[in-house]
Amino acid sequence: MSKTYEYVPEPALVKGNHDFKDITAMVTDINLRPTPTGWYIAFAISSLLLTVLLGSIAYLFWQGTGIWGLNSPAGWGWAIINFVWWVGIGHAGTLISAILFLFRQGWRTAINRFAEAMTIFAVMCAGIFPAIHVGRIWVIYWVFPVPNSMAMWPNFNSPLLWDVFAVSTYFTVSFLFWYVGLVPDFATIRDRIKSKFGKLIYGTFALGWRGSNRHWWNYEKSYMILAGLATPLVLSVHTIVSFDFAVSIIPGWHTTIFPPYFVAGAVFSGFAMVLTLMIICRKIYGLEDIMTVDHIEKMNIIILVTGSMVGFAYAMEFFIAWYSGVEYEKAIFILRATGPYAWAYWIMLTCNVFSPQFFWSKKLRRNVAFTFFISIVVNIGMWFERFVIAVTSLSTDYLPSSWGYYSPTFWDVATYIGTFGLFFTFFLLFLRFLPMVAVAELKGVLPQADPHNYNDKGEYVEPVVEIPEPYNKPS
Amino acid sequence: MSDQSNQTTYWKSLNELAQNKEYKNFVEREFPEDATELSDQVSRRSFLRVMGASIALAGFASCRKPIQKILPYSRQPEDMVLGEPLFYATSMPFQDSVTGLLVTNVEGRPNKIEGNEIHPGSNGRTSIYNQASILGLYDQDRSRSPRQNNEPTTKDDFVSFAAEHFSDRNRRILFIDEANSSPTYHRLKSETLSEFPNAEWVTYEPFSDRNAIEGTQIAFGQRLRTVNHYDNADLVVTLDDDFMSPHAHRNSVENSVKLTSRRKVESTEDMMSRIYSVENAYTNTGSYADHRLRLKSSQIAPFTYALAAKLSESVSGLSAFSGVTNEFSNHNWINTLASELLSNRGNSVISVGLDHAPETHAAVAAMNVALENSGNTVTYLSVPFLNDRDEYNAFLNAVNDLKAGAYDTLVMVGTNIAFNAPADLGLAEALSNVETKIHLSDYVDETSRVSDWHVNRAHFIETWGDGHSFTGERSIIQPQILPLFDGLSEVEFLSILLNGELTSGYELVQNTWRDVIASDFNRQWESVLHDGVHLESAYTQVPVSISGMFSDSMSSAINDESINGIEISIKPDARIYDGRFANNAWLMELPEPMTKITWDNVALMSAATAEKIGIDPERSFKNNEVPLVRITAQGETIEIAAWVSPGHADDSITLTVGYGRNNIGRVADGVGVNTYPLRTSQEMFFQTANVEPAGGTYEIACVQDHHSLEGRDMIRTATLDEYKENPDFATYESVHGYEIPGMKEARAEGDERGPISLFEEQYGPEHQPQWGMTIDLNSCFGCGVCTIACQAENNIPVIGKREVGRRRIMHWIRTDRYYVGDADNPTAYHQPVPCMHCELAPCEQVCPVAATTHSEDGINQMTYNRCIGTRYCANNCPFKVRRFNFFNYTKEYLTSGDDPEIIQMAMNPEVTVRFRGVIEKCTYCVQRVNRGKIKAKIATGSRKPEDGAVKTACQQACPANAISFGDLTDNNSEVSIKKRNDRNYVMLEEINVRPRTSYLARLTNKNPELA
Repeated sequence: MSKTYEYVPEPALVKGNHDFKDITAMVTDINLRPTPTGWYIAFAISSLLLTVLLGSIAYLFWQGTGIWGLNSPAGWGWAIINFVWWVGIGHAGTLISAILFLFRQGWRTAINRFAEAMTIFAVMCAGIFPAIHVGRIWVIYWVFPVPNSMAMWPNFNSPLLWDVFAVSTYFTVSFLFWYVGLVPDFATIRDRIKSKFGKLIYGTFALGWRGSNRHWWNYEKSYMILAGLATPLVLSVHTIVSFDFAVSIIPGWHTTIFPPYFVAGAVFSGFAMVLTLMIICRKIYGLEDIMTVDHIEKMNIIILVTGSMVGFAYAMEFFIAWYSGVEYEKAIFILRATGPYAWAYWIMLTCNVFSPQFFWSKKLRRNVAFTFFISIVVNIGMWFERFVIAVTSLSTDYLPSSWGYYSPTFWDVATYIGTFGLFFTFFLLFLRFLPMVAVAELKGVLPQADPHNYNDKGEYVEPVVEIPEPYNKPS
Repeated sequence: MSDQSNQTTYWKSLNELAQNKEYKNFVEREFPEDATELSDQVSRRSFLRVMGASIALAGFASCRKPIQKILPYSRQPEDMVLGEPLFYATSMPFQDSVTGLLVTNVEGRPNKIEGNEIHPGSNGRTSIYNQASILGLYDQDRSRSPRQNNEPTTKDDFVSFAAEHFSDRNRRILFIDEANSSPTYHRLKSETLSEFPNAEWVTYEPFSDRNAIEGTQIAFGQRLRTVNHYDNADLVVTLDDDFMSPHAHRNSVENSVKLTSRRKVESTEDMMSRIYSVENAYTNTGSYADHRLRLKSSQIAPFTYALAAKLSESVSGLSAFSGVTNEFSNHNWINTLASELLSNRGNSVISVGLDHAPETHAAVAAMNVALENSGNTVTYLSVPFLNDRDEYNAFLNAVNDLKAGAYDTLVMVGTNIAFNAPADLGLAEALSNVETKIHLSDYVDETSRVSDWHVNRAHFIETWGDGHSFTGERSIIQPQILPLFDGLSEVEFLSILLNGELTSGYELVQNTWRDVIASDFNRQWESVLHDGVHLESAYTQVPVSISGMFSDSMSSAINDESINGIEISIKPDARIYDGRFANNAWLMELPEPMTKITWDNVALMSAATAEKIGIDPERSFKNNEVPLVRITAQGETIEIAAWVSPGHADDSITLTVGYGRNNIGRVADGVGVNTYPLRTSQEMFFQTANVEPAGGTYEIACVQDHHSLEGRDMIRTATLDEYKENPDFATYESVHGYEIPGMKEARAEGDERGPISLFEEQYGPEHQPQWGMTIDLNSCFGCGVCTIACQAENNIPVIGKREVGRRRIMHWIRTDRYYVGDADNPTAYHQPVPCMHCELAPCEQVCPVAATTHSEDGINQMTYNRCIGTRYCANNCPFKVRRFNFFNYTKEYLTSGDDPEIIQMAMNPEVTVRFRGVIEKCTYCVQRVNRGKIKAKIATGSRKPEDGAVKTACQQACPANAISFGDLTDNNSEVSIKKRNDRNYVMLEEINVRPRTSYLARLTNKNPELA
């Protein structure tokens, strides 16, 4: 019995048979071209939203957290929901760049820069909320273990304190990781940019990168180490965020499933957000050959997997609530599905569990428009997941006498919308001034980077040697 | 208004300080427009400096020891130690009785009220009105000067006007006053009447005991005061008489003390009295009863006559009722009550609400006599100042005479007839027919505004006076401070009219007392002042017998029938009474004891009635909007929010009065709806009405949105018989059928304190007292005085309707009220919930900055200075007792208005006021605890005060004696004994937070026939 095995070549990660020069040009020309009008318009809108954020925060500091819809029993509302939501979104970048790097997933190179930038900006948005939601912002530094004459330390038992460490570490490492990856690309732009000022700035950030072998060697090592450091953080940060809830004793919060469930949800929402942004950018900036439909499909598979994990967690919560026999736990889950917040619960379930199931179909997975739609739906769903967790558990907890409905105010909404301003302001600046694709890394996964002098049939092929022309500004 | 003359009037010796430069700086700088001094530029150091200065000066503002400049007493008053409060006896007049009080006076400034233990009307306990009166004293909206034609004038002007006006002794003067028990007042009244031959004097109270008095006139031919001795009664039948609530009965505190004393079950050997309640709206007394029947107000009379008819079959003296048949003759309650009453002859009490007709009162009185209760559980007292006439009719006649122009001068002493007189009297017309109208009142109210002269009345805490308790014991009203606004007491006011010059209240009262105290006046006077009551002067008990006219007088009434269709029943409000407390923010924000509504009055009705009217009986959990109804009666129409109250009688709507005010003060204005227009002179209490949906909705701030227990075990109950069979009915195991998970494992490790824990749990050391509390749900009837007492003691801000509606109420102790059972006729349970001071407090674990920690004596402490306001502790509190300062409530509460210094004087200097952004909650009155510990340490060297030496504010105020507090390391302390009671349980035992505050399960003494 014999069988013939056929060699199935992996699809090329970059379509269109671009060479190195093309890639450099495709990506960095975006930064070197004069600013398009569209960018100004987008930047104006996002700056306006950023102003809304700053205004909302200023009013909040002036008046107090009472301007939000918070009450007793619901001491946490949109601020904490937004925090968890943005942190969750901030998961994709580091996961893509660190974990996929360690697993040698070459396709990550097309989107990692982009996703990491999104991560950093999302974590910035997230980080605002735990800080501003406190009643006395002017003493927020007490959460840091600052030595003081009272020998008064923060309470290391408190998950909120763990949060402070987890999120700040995550941000620091993600930022460093992103920056280290940027160094060779900074050098590329430094070399290509005409303006003296630009050369100075990019040159400064390029840290004297000359592309020598020793530089590459150091770069690869440091990148690897940072990837190794970042990997556990991907898991830890949302685990610790989930501890804010899981360590408390409130029914619906006090569950051991929270860490994996939160991490899965975070990856889920992060990938969705990456997709949303990527689908827009690849279109606008003509990067369809780099961020291909294959990438979209791969990410959709991850969305399908993590969405189903989240769905499993929802089911498991119900099961455990019933199986534990704890009256309050049972009540809270029944109330989630049928009580005053049932509308939010069913939005969550529809968006997070049902909508990704479409991705079982290859056709839909590869449909860009549909993917775009689902990616938005998923992010709405994940926001509602946090809403359901945070608000329903608080508003209908142990003593029925304290039950109360929570509704947001104008300021809750304005602050949330404002964070989009912050996010997009930074993101637009990123798109404008930094290469949105890791050029150096991407080149490493081009077919050209892996030259074989024999083709599929084993025939010798003469290597093509092309000496690049010096850069000329495109007319 | 903040002119110097006003300040001098109340600042007195501290005036000098009040004017100095630092002070002015402070006023400008402590809270300039919002929180500018706390902006980011300010370093922590300067922040502390600012705060330090604020505290130093805020201390001055609240009369703590001023740090900046101390002006020592040039002569130290006796007993005064700076920082140590002194306690003085006084009493609070309310209508025609007084309640003995003990006022806490800190450096000349009264700031807390407790009951006087010797006074029979108090027994050391208080009502919400007593507790809130301290805020009434410091109400900056009180009238500050006499007014002539609505223009401010001076007291001297008024005195000279009065001297001249009343020098004509032949003036035709009509006096209208409020009920008043003061002997001095009545002495001046009779002197006035003899001095002015053409004067007439009538008393009008919108809610008085006139019907009860007229009832005894019908029954016994004498006008007598009925006193029920609930402590002697094994059986209590209350017919729409909410005698435990201060708005429904003047002697509610004594009634509550006595009734609940029969409900203290310490072991299975103990017995309880049995209470039957027949009532219209669900009242606190009804919720405390063992059996409750809901009937329309207009059905109470037929029910009473049917009961009397039934009893007439078995006892003599009720022949007037024999043969009466009506809709209730065959009611199962009539048979049950009759047999119960017959088997408890001499040990039962039947009482009926004051808004029922004199005939109904007469019938009840006759039944009490026939059942031999009279002289035993019910006594009848002769009240010396009661007239031999129907005072209400006299009032109606006087108003008619007024209309006819029979008087040239109208003197109104404290009453507010322009607001609260029956609508059909045409009072406006009557008032326009009199030349000179003089009105003494606390506020520039509706009547003041139509008077020629308004005279500002002094608060009872700032004047000399006297009065009788409900049962007659005389007390002196002793001022605690000079009048803040230079007001006049009633007696001083009368002395001006009488003598043309002001005689001091002190002199007037002493002159009266010289008649009572025959010998050794000064000594005895001081002794009465000290004790607060002269016990020997109780009213005399009068032996009664059924009058010969009784049957005739009753003959028409006994055939009375109830109102067909929908009736409205108009009651005094639980919080603001007839409107006199409308400007008291503590009362306004106190959740109404049954509905839990704040800042409004509503039309209470049953779900069936709501459906009948055509409004949705379901209330949305998601918003505060409730439908409006339009109520038309006697040609008057009001629109008011409809509120479905489970347990309310069908086809009946209960309204409360006192709301809908304008230009009274910042609290009263614009709150609720004025329902007085629906009252007519003939139909004061209940009548038919036309009710329809008005369309539209109205926002109500209710502090409890969910009223069902959801089958949970927060409240554990049993009948007395069940308890005797199974004394452990309240344990977790009995309730759930299995032991608390983790208990077995804990026992295996030799730890009985609670389910097994991951950690080595440390309890407080033995050398410290370990504080604990029990709340006896079998005593609590949900009056809410604990909330007000706590608010007064702990400087808890009032936050207003909008904030309450957003569920941000600040009360440290709340009373949860749950309905259990049949939706139309449920049982209501009350449960006061303060901080539980959990041994393993979940709040302490989650605070990121360790702002809430455990003290060595087991108190869950809140360090405001350290709190950054994450609200995580509040979230993690399973009892939701932690309160958050979402805004700078204290600033609004204590620094708004023209003279914020006034309300600041009401603050307890021993308790920090809390800034925006911090959590606060019950501290077990840590300031009292520490005072007790310091005293004990000085006296005995031990940190453990003896049992009873430390009382929390809620405990001290509670008229049901439901709260016990003390040291758990003392096996003989009251609280330790209570904790050993079979009925002791803690809420949420299974989550292993180990609360220090526990509950004693509720018992009901059910009649098996009705159960």
